[in-house]
Amino acid sequence: MNEGLVSTILRRGFLALVALFIAAPLVVVIGVSFNEGRRMSFPPSELSLKWYKAFFTDAGWMKSLETSLSISALAAVIAVIVALPIAYAVWRYNSKAAKALAGVGSGLFLLPGVVTALMFSAFWGMAGHVGRIENVILSHSVILLGIPVAMLSVGFQSIEKALIEAAHTMGAGDAEAFRMVVRPAMTPYILCALVYVFVLSLNEYLIAYMVAGFSVQTLPIRVFTSLRSGYEPTMCVGAVIFILLGFAAFSLLAAVGDLPKLMGRHRPLEA
Amino acid sequence: MTDLAVPLRAKDTEPRSRDQVVLAGLLSLPTLFLIVLCLIPLFLLVQLSFAHREDGGLWRAGLELTQYRQLLNPQFLKVALFSFTLALTTAVISVALAFPVAYFISRMKRRAQITWLVGLLSTLSLSEVLIVFSFQVLLSGGGGLVKALVALGIMDSVHSLYPNFAAVMVCLVYLVLPYIILFLYPAMSQLDDDIPAAATTMGASPARAFLTVVAPMVKGPLLSAGLLVVIFTVGSYLTPLVLGRPQQWTVGILISNGAMTTGNLPLAAAQAVALVALMVGLLGLVRLLTRAGSPAS
Repeated sequence: MNEGLVSTILRRGFLALVALFIAAPLVVVIGVSFNEGRRMSFPPSELSLKWYKAFFTDAGWMKSLETSLSISALAAVIAVIVALPIAYAVWRYNSKAAKALAGVGSGLFLLPGVVTALMFSAFWGMAGHVGRIENVILSHSVILLGIPVAMLSVGFQSIEKALIEAAHTMGAGDAEAFRMVVRPAMTPYILCALVYVFVLSLNEYLIAYMVAGFSVQTLPIRVFTSLRSGYEPTMCVGAVIFILLGFAAFSLLAAVGDLPKLMGRHRPLEA
Repeated sequence: MTDLAVPLRAKDTEPRSRDQVVLAGLLSLPTLFLIVLCLIPLFLLVQLSFAHREDGGLWRAGLELTQYRQLLNPQFLKVALFSFTLALTTAVISVALAFPVAYFISRMKRRAQITWLVGLLSTLSLSEVLIVFSFQVLLSGGGGLVKALVALGIMDSVHSLYPNFAAVMVCLVYLVLPYIILFLYPAMSQLDDDIPAAATTMGASPARAFLTVVAPMVKGPLLSAGLLVVIFTVGSYLTPLVLGRPQQWTVGILISNGAMTTGNLPLAAAQAVALVALMVGLLGLVRLLTRAGSPAS
């Protein structure tokens, strides 16, 4: 019994340390963003919302935020539109061609960021289409394609076989079965895939930088360039906004979809 | 995955060709998309690595090995070796940390699990730029950690804790940790609790049961997780650039410098191709070793 108590304490302590490690840099940045002074200091010497005001009234930062949000939204929509037929063809027809496409998508995701960034910068350079926002959108949607393919495949597999059979025995054709069973079952998975690609595209900087970094300034690129020139307190505000955006997006995802299942848990969980 | 497709196909044997038409229609857009935006760029990258370099950041198509020969110089080999060492060390540390975390999370109540998952996904999605920046703030003289260490008497004077190898290492572990925990999570949640429980009733301590019974059961996923970390970190760029000294520079930095500053695109392309080739070689080697080790084949 006593040994059980010791192991519980050890386990809790270990998990608390890991949580602290994960939280520490984020907490420090959030703290510094409320600091009154121009110099970096944690804990903040005097609390102030000054840098938030500066961030939201600065045309440059706002433009970057807007650019980032529009790139990610479009990249997410394109990636999901391309992924849907692939995942559907794998599930419904067990198609080898679709499996190969899915494999290419996930293989691309595994390549190092610098390699894909170089590859796309060479590609757009030779296409004579340099420094445009579409370059970033399309590059992001293809590089992240593996994620919606995997998530939508989980979704299709979760559709009860019995439900489709029931629809067919009740005289429904393929199209009707699709409308009655497949579409409602897939909606949360599509939403989750959209959110996931959106957040990852929002935070990607290397491809965006090498493909169009001089003319299209996303928020990470702005932080990246000022990171090398020196510290600015508004950078912390930008970081805080991204931390909050990611947190909000995944909380939404947890509310809409079955997060443990989406992350690969097959056994049911008690509440 | 196939259990559904089989009965559906069995039902309509005669419109098999109709299936083919539907399938072709479904896959035409994704195929076109991937050919244009994946296969052509990949081909161009390889072609670029064989191109002839001209002055002023220009090059012309060719089939020469000049760039590949340059890879054999000791400077590049040193950097490549360092990149792989860094990636392997990160892999060992992060898997050793992530394994128990993933195991414990998979045993929690649903609400606690969802809280951890949301927290992990939020940090996972956070841009490397922002994480490196956060570490810069955390490790700097005014960042709290230094003040705390000085107050505790662990550090003598206030000075920043970067750039050095340890800062690069810790930040890389931070970057991959959520990925690896989430990667191991499905395998951990599939694990049966009965066997470790049996081991503890037979007198093994929980820690011992964990290491001697649970760990061997998930050897495969642990190895794959380690490989994934190597893949993710071998091309790392920003972390060593900002938190390290030039001695800690990686192939990733060489590649992007070559492309962005020195304008030697063919050399950068050759370095990129070599990096991927080394990675694929490593993957093949591990697969070969694990296959030889398993009694099944």
